Amino acid sequence: MSALDRALLVAARDLAAERRHPDGFVAALTFTGLLVLIESLAFGPGQARQPGVASALFWIAVLFAATLVATRSFDRELEDDAIDAILVLDGGREAIYAGKLIAIAVVLGIVALAAAVLSLVLLDLEVALAGHLALVGILGILALPPVIVLTTLLALRVRARAALVPILSFPILVPQLVACTQGAAAALTGDASAAVGWAGILAAFALVYGVLGLTIVPAAIE
Amino acid sequence: MRRVTVNVSREANASLNDVTVVLDDRTILRGISLELPPGLTLLRGTNGAGKTTLLRALAGLVPLARGRRSIPGGPPLYIGHRPMLLRGLTARENLSFLAAFRGLVSSDVAGALRKWGLGDAMDRPIERLSAGQRRRASLARIETEQVPLVLLDEPFADLDSDALVRLRAALNTALVRGQAVLMATHMHHELDQDATAHYVLDDGALRVL
Repeated sequence: MSALDRALLVAARDLAAERRHPDGFVAALTFTGLLVLIESLAFGPGQARQPGVASALFWIAVLFAATLVATRSFDRELEDDAIDAILVLDGGREAIYAGKLIAIAVVLGIVALAAAVLSLVLLDLEVALAGHLALVGILGILALPPVIVLTTLLALRVRARAALVPILSFPILVPQLVACTQGAAAALTGDASAAVGWAGILAAFALVYGVLGLTIVPAAIE
Repeated sequence: MRRVTVNVSREANASLNDVTVVLDDRTILRGISLELPPGLTLLRGTNGAGKTTLLRALAGLVPLARGRRSIPGGPPLYIGHRPMLLRGLTARENLSFLAAFRGLVSSDVAGALRKWGLGDAMDRPIERLSAGQRRRASLARIETEQVPLVLLDEPFADLDSDALVRLRAALNTALVRGQAVLMATHMHHELDQDATAHYVLDDGALRVL
């Protein structure tokens, strides 16, 4: 069985568990929706409709949602020591990392899609380049989870994990957040070259942190 | 997909050589050397003596401060205090996943769960099973993942008398297959006659009985 097969197996298992008990998904969806709504009200309709502000509000909400989904996913692993059954196996550590990345990205993608629809409707946004916006959205969804999953794994046995993961991961995620916000704002305003440029940066972040995680995780998980 | 063939020679299925484990600045295991040939090995010791840590060291779940671990037949089957099954999935899904991860797609998961009396419960999510049923489901992995080394940590916990009979039968089958089984237990009298070796862990040091 190849490393990719093992990662897909873990991802399928996670998604099956999430489908049966979508507590992480529901929490993230509710949280994201409320955050977009409250932030829009706090800024007021005029300011919240500006592409830069609307994008920032959206991606901050998605970032918190990613943390929620990842935390719930690992809580489930630790409830009955289920993760140990995988860590014992050859390639288990890499598979946990990569599998979680895939599963969290899928769940986050659905949450982000719902939040995007809410933002577009609520703020009555005009999208100049829908394809570019989708590209930035997809790459942003791929760029955020590697850092969050990596820090969650590093803090796996720490009691204050729920607090530690955002403290460790958010500073590292600032460049990704900037790229997501700028890329989405560029797509909203019709600046195709800027949107593609930011999308490229997001792809690089996803790749670099994905590979970095795969390199660190086997030695780092206890 | 591969089906594991267990080596039935008397050569060790696993060994620890001068292993020391230090956790949180405390030495849990001190210079442990141990060979596990096919057969049942019982591990005894008082609470906190280091039995679980020894099993986890063999499973590769704790870092070794010193020494070497060798398991020629590949990763062991380790069943700890808790069921180690994912909530949200059924017993069948959990066992199928773990067997598939080892490449054992032909494993008869449903048959193994039926042998453990879980015929009606195998398609219920794990969290809806009783503690005893969850324990049965995790022990059914002895049948679905037939690997050369099996590590069992207090497997009698939560089991009723019927499940004890089933565990005995599963162990006998495993021993006939030539698997090495290392079991940490306080209920050693249940299996004394079946065991090929007895060890006692005392303050992190191992001695033969």
